[in-house]
Amino acid sequence: MYKTTGFFSFVLRRVTGVALALYLFLHMWVIGSVNQGAEAFDARLATVQSPLFKFLEIALLAAVIYHAIDGIRLLIVHYFDVAEYRKSLFYAVMVVSVLLGIAGGLPMLLFAINGG
Amino acid sequence: MATNGTSKTAVIRIQKFNPDKDKKPYLKEYTVTVTPDTTILDALEEIKATQDGTLTFRRSCRHAICGSCAMNVNGHNTLVCNQRVNAHLDKKGMITVRPLPYLPIVKDMVVDRTSFWDQYQRIKPWLVPPEDVPETEFRMTPEEVKALNDAEKCIMCGACYSACTVTAMNKSYIGPHALLKASLRIQDPRDSITDERLVEISGADGAYRCHTIFNCIDACPKNLNPTQAIETLRKLAQKRAAYVDARKERQKTL
Amino acid sequence: MRITPTRIFQIQRISAIALLVFMTTHMVVVHYPPMHIDFSQIIVRMGEPIWKVIDILFLLSVLTHALAGMYMVLTDLQKIGPYRQALGWIAVVLFVVFFAYGTKTIIAFQPPV
Repeated sequence: MYKTTGFFSFVLRRVTGVALALYLFLHMWVIGSVNQGAEAFDARLATVQSPLFKFLEIALLAAVIYHAIDGIRLLIVHYFDVAEYRKSLFYAVMVVSVLLGIAGGLPMLLFAINGG
Repeated sequence: MATNGTSKTAVIRIQKFNPDKDKKPYLKEYTVTVTPDTTILDALEEIKATQDGTLTFRRSCRHAICGSCAMNVNGHNTLVCNQRVNAHLDKKGMITVRPLPYLPIVKDMVVDRTSFWDQYQRIKPWLVPPEDVPETEFRMTPEEVKALNDAEKCIMCGACYSACTVTAMNKSYIGPHALLKASLRIQDPRDSITDERLVEISGADGAYRCHTIFNCIDACPKNLNPTQAIETLRKLAQKRAAYVDARKERQKTL
Repeated sequence: MRITPTRIFQIQRISAIALLVFMTTHMVVVHYPPMHIDFSQIIVRMGEPIWKVIDILFLLSVLTHALAGMYMVLTDLQKIGPYRQALGWIAVVLFVVFFAYGTKTIIAFQPPV
């Protein structure tokens, strides 16, 4: 494998992208139960609110954040001639993603631990 | 070989593969004495002359212009003729030299570049002049010439093509080298088949297959920028009709 | 209309920009702060027509982005090349099915009578 920051960002983008697409269909299946009324909805929602899913949700949030920030990076590269700053841009994406991930993930983690 | 400075020993670890004897490539270590001026190519030549006559690699000009000696040094594609051994030694005083990745190995450092040249041919890398060629010379503005400068410097060494993750997965992809050359011809105001070229590079194997991984820029020994050329091609492909019309207008005043 | 690689690229970029807006809204309004989600909370918000419109637009952009993305991931592989067209049609069918299903779900959200 030819390893560069670009390759690393590409693999992360692919993995998070496929994971999010698969999640989208699961998400629609859960929300779609509203067609069968409130009881069915709450029941199906309960199955995806077990502690395991709480932690998966944090991973999901991280995936969304990384994919979004990396997408912004690609838009910047597309519209401005900034290829020479490619490494700095990659590290900037990682830093922003981690900060946003903590901002969003920490309350989720505390909530999952304290129970709700 | 120049002999200024102190000489020291370095270990060159080389990936060997002989299709007649070996099942798969393996690494072999050679110890050579190097001065600060010794290039990696010098070291390879010395190994071939004094230690292992079977070592096979391509090289020609030794001045970083023929594009024969592109190899993978410590995981990065580069020309070996303009890289000094000392600059690439790792902490253990070792250099690892492999053939260009993702291409079929013929023997040792020699790889099969068929797909590389096929994709190059595909984009018609020559100039197709308009029918009414002026009697004197074509007149281009300095800005137009500047846009072409980058791609003109390409020496077709294959470092970018072999570094690209997309070509690793899919040999139908046109590849950074050919897209860079395509952008040269498409932006050339003297060229008359702009439409045909833009259709080709906006196809399923063209510029949109690029995922902006930047490996081509990291690999290029001439510091060219195929990624930006591909981004330019994408922009031009999206306004193809307008661009082709503008070209026809431009050619009236060449 | 023929869906060319240029169109797929444009669709991907436009839906990406739309998603930056919709996804931020979705995360902040629906999932943050991470309170327990239950039916009654959602139903009140979903009772407003403006949220139905926003959610349908969100669904539209997220579906196109996901399916176009999956299509690009798969067609990057050499072996998938010959089946590119079939894959494209599968993506279109999946889009229609899931968009219909999702829209039905969004419209079905009614405040308790």
